[in-house]
Amino acid sequence: MKRTPTLLIPFQLLTYVLMLFALYTIFIYAPVEKTMGVIQKIFYIHVPAAFLAYLAFFITFIASIFYLYRKDSRWDTVAHCAVETGVIFCTIVLITGPIWAKPIWNVWWTWDPRLTTTLILWFTYVAYLMLRRAVKENQRANLAAVFGIIGFLNVPITFFSIRLWRTIHPVVITSRGLNMSGPMKLSLIITFIAFCFLFFSMLISRIRLERSKMHIEELKEIMDDMNF
Amino acid sequence: MDNSIYLFAAFSITWSIIFVYIFRLFRTQTALNDQINKIKKALQDNIDLDVSDS
Repeated sequence: MKRTPTLLIPFQLLTYVLMLFALYTIFIYAPVEKTMGVIQKIFYIHVPAAFLAYLAFFITFIASIFYLYRKDSRWDTVAHCAVETGVIFCTIVLITGPIWAKPIWNVWWTWDPRLTTTLILWFTYVAYLMLRRAVKENQRANLAAVFGIIGFLNVPITFFSIRLWRTIHPVVITSRGLNMSGPMKLSLIITFIAFCFLFFSMLISRIRLERSKMHIEELKEIMDDMNF
Repeated sequence: MDNSIYLFAAFSITWSIIFVYIFRLFRTQTALNDQINKIKKALQDNIDLDVSDS
């Protein structure tokens, strides 16, 4: 437990430096897109946030499987914390998307397949968090694990929605790679790496918090035993 | 120039969400660390009392 803070602090400092570098590439290095103008730069947070939300829910999927297989509460903790982090990033996607859409499509929202499936994805994992609060402790981990596995079905549906159905959502990643100029590609990659560091920094901090809560419960049990 | 306000809004809201979440994590972690230290101190005091009694 003592080793984690020693490694976490440099990791968080590196995250901070990378985020500053990412902001530099977004606003100074990356060119302004010809058709959309400066509003296109929202893309540099929108796309990484979407991928990291998918990653978070994938971590939940794997951790839920491991929990059901091993019945180790640490996997339940990872699943729970990953969902919370994923919901944060999914919220960012659902806010930055409409802000971009308003000047470009002239609407805040449309029931386009990509937008609709992303909203459903968000509701699914908010429901996961509500489920955890609603059920008793002895049932919580099992139910949440099953929900975390089934809920992951939404992720490939959301990701492939632009290929499965007709959509007005921009297609950036094609079979030929990223559909953009060199400096934009590099800015996206740098921002994506910075956001990855941010994601893991937030996830690790959240897991530490849960482990601290469990540690307090253990200490309270010891105190109760001593008092008896 | 008009669209800059949307860009500003998107980045402001994104960073606000992230900073509020990180701040909440930090505050909760600090409170939990304090609680752990208090319980450990109480446990240690209990142990010392038991030892002195025996």
